[in-house]
Amino acid sequence: MLGAILDFTLAASLVWIAWRTGATPYLFNAVVLFIVFGLLMTLAWVRLNAPDVALAETAIGTGLTGALLLDAAAHIAGKPGRRKGKNPP
Amino acid sequence: MIACGLIYAVVGVVLFALGFFGLIVHAHPVRKLIAFNIMGSGVFLVLVGLPQRTAGTPPDRVSEALVLTGIVVAVSATAFGLALARRLYDLTGKPRLPNDPRPES
Repeated sequence: MLGAILDFTLAASLVWIAWRTGATPYLFNAVVLFIVFGLLMTLAWVRLNAPDVALAETAIGTGLTGALLLDAAAHIAGKPGRRKGKNPP
Repeated sequence: MIACGLIYAVVGVVLFALGFFGLIVHAHPVRKLIAFNIMGSGVFLVLVGLPQRTAGTPPDRVSEALVLTGIVVAVSATAFGLALARRLYDLTGKPRLPNDPRPES
């Protein structure tokens, strides 16, 4: 019973966070919400009796992808002056 | 008593639909990649959740290994896409594809 409540709460949170990730107007908010989505996915893998997939999702799917997305978002949406000298003509 | 795997399989289908919608709607390449990752997570949830749709079945280790490989491939594909998006922004100065017919937001 308690497990079913947890499952449904987790399912609703996953769908809601995924919808917010697509609907938010700011790029940085989308990246942070995607990292939160990855952490919720980790909980889903644990509920599905797949701890190895949960570990891989945390380390690679959330950590590495989140870092890459944050770096790209800072490069694209950041201040243009910071990129000066980085790309010689 | 509904099995726990079936809930996550249904959630995976919904996530696939949400990610596909975002992939089409957004013009920004980084947001397209985020939506693409959500789409992939939906596929992984269906792949692991559907074998456990009846209560008491042991988890399918083959599909879990497949999903493990898929996560690594998705990360490398995302990194490649982000590198392309950065290069596109450096060359054109705009974070959108050059032949995108949508008006500038």
